[in-house]
Amino acid sequence: MKSQFGKKLKVLLVENNLVDRKVIIKMLSTSPYGHFDPKFASSLVEAFELLPKHKFDVVLLDLNVDDSKGLETLKKFHRRFPHLPVVVNTGSYQDDLGLKAITKGAQDYLIKGMYKSYSLVKSLYYAVERKRVEEELKNAYNKLQQTQIQLIQAEKMNVIGGLASGVAHEVKNPLATILYGVEYLENSLKTSDEKIVLTLDSIQEAAKSANNIIKGLLDFASLTNLKKTPENINTLIDQAIHLTRPQCERVSVHLEKNLQNDLPLIKIDRNRIQQVIVDLIVNAIYAMNNGGRLMIRTYGKKFSDQDVGWIDRRGRSFGQGDDVVVVDFEDTGPGIKDEYLIKIFDPFFTTRRAAGGIGLGLSIARTIMNSHGGIISLHNKTGGGARARLIFKANKKEPV
Amino acid sequence: MKKKKVLVIDDERGFTKMVKLNLEASGDYEVKIQNNSLDALQTAIEFQPDVILLDVIMPDLEGPDVVYQIKNNEVLKNTPVIFITANITREEVEAQEGYIGGHAFLAKPGSIDELIACIEKQIKSHP
Ligand SMILES: Nc1ncnc2c1ncn2[C@@H]1O[C@H](COP(=O)(O)OP(=O)(O)OP(=O)(O)O)[C@@H](O)[C@H]1O
Ligand SMILES: [Mg+2]
Repeated sequence: MKSQFGKKLKVLLVENNLVDRKVIIKMLSTSPYGHFDPKFASSLVEAFELLPKHKFDVVLLDLNVDDSKGLETLKKFHRRFPHLPVVVNTGSYQDDLGLKAITKGAQDYLIKGMYKSYSLVKSLYYAVERKRVEEELKNAYNKLQQTQIQLIQAEKMNVIGGLASGVAHEVKNPLATILYGVEYLENSLKTSDEKIVLTLDSIQEAAKSANNIIKGLLDFASLTNLKKTPENINTLIDQAIHLTRPQCERVSVHLEKNLQNDLPLIKIDRNRIQQVIVDLIVNAIYAMNNGGRLMIRTYGKKFSDQDVGWIDRRGRSFGQGDDVVVVDFEDTGPGIKDEYLIKIFDPFFTTRRAAGGIGLGLSIARTIMNSHGGIISLHNKTGGGARARLIFKANKKEPV
Repeated sequence: MKKKKVLVIDDERGFTKMVKLNLEASGDYEVKIQNNSLDALQTAIEFQPDVILLDVIMPDLEGPDVVYQIKNNEVLKNTPVIFITANITREEVEAQEGYIGGHAFLAKPGSIDELIACIEKQIKSHP
């Protein structure tokens, strides 16, 4: 007879009592309401062995099996196979245990001896359906959460952008006064007293570094009007290498490049992207202040989600299989500590505070890349060192 | 040699004082300060400066309004004006080769040498 519930279910019965097994088998095989393909396990270990081998739709789980008792059984099960629908089948007349099982991830529960064929069948189909809905909800929730993260991020940028221009004006005025004041003192004192010279120099340095912070903030603010033109990224990289060459040589960082010849063009604001490239090179140089090797590579490829982690993928303007241009910066420095990995793109996060780092380099770079619909990521390489990666959408080839 | 007269119009009192100190220390300039842009025109008429340093954003009357008054005044209309402002960065000024909308610009903060060079250039080009 045709099943009331549609598809045939592959059921795993985790049950060590032979009598119970027989009862269940009988109910399932003779039920006119559903179609089942059952398999048995009498312990969790056995179940865990079977599960990866077959594509089960649902599990009927006795909580007391050979190697595990009570709710622990369900927890262990759920930890290993969180996506599989479970109906708990308790031996004892314990409704509260069954209810607890529901809060621990089971979709339904049955009490042995208290149900007939129809209830069992209904419960198994119900569990499958309920699990599907649950998973859908969970996915929707995850998506919502991701969107929220993006919104918060975007909001942060807006706030910073708005504040930046206001603050910049207010702060630069007193800075101008301080710097003119110092210059006046320097010129009029013409002293050789080292302490005074040192004091004046320090004031000047401090004011200049404050001014740099302001400049960084303004960079956030002025990202709205980008001038995008089709460019060959290799040209920009050559220029950036030229700009940073002296700094490389000072700390004996050996710079190598491997640039693909016939790269597709990308549509970018060249000054902004230049800034990103220089920032990444400078970061690598700082990470290798006892010397090392920086390899810059460019290549075209079809984008794959494997190219970057999901957190880096937000806001991109291309998808799986689209043509992209990738720039990799690989250094032989110490890499990034795991606990810092999630912070390095935050504004003002720096491990180089003492050496004058402001911590805006990467956060500005990310803002710039986002406003190009591109991706920036920074990870440790297996085998040591860090790899920064930029991914741009490739321009469609112009018909010749 | 006669000292060149510089009028500084900026609501930042500290800044104007420092401009005056620095320029006068060189011995080549006589500097007058006006911190209230509403009185800028009157002060300029009385002082007859060789060059005017002007802030862009000020309460009451903003820099461009002051320029408008100056350009429409028979006595002052040929006096060169240098905008000196915290609203733009040195890089932006350089990208525009020192001129924005036909006016010389200097970014705040900057150096005194830069300021003097700019003043001299403006005075020379407006005999
Ligand atoms: N190539 C790298 N290797 C190891 N750590 C890195 C590398 N690049 C960046 N980092 C880490 O990320 C932090 C943040 O970098 P970011 O460029 O944002 O700021 P910064 O370089 O410290 O300061 P700023 O760029 O504002 O002068 C650095 O302080 C450093 O700890
Ligand atoms: Mg940096």
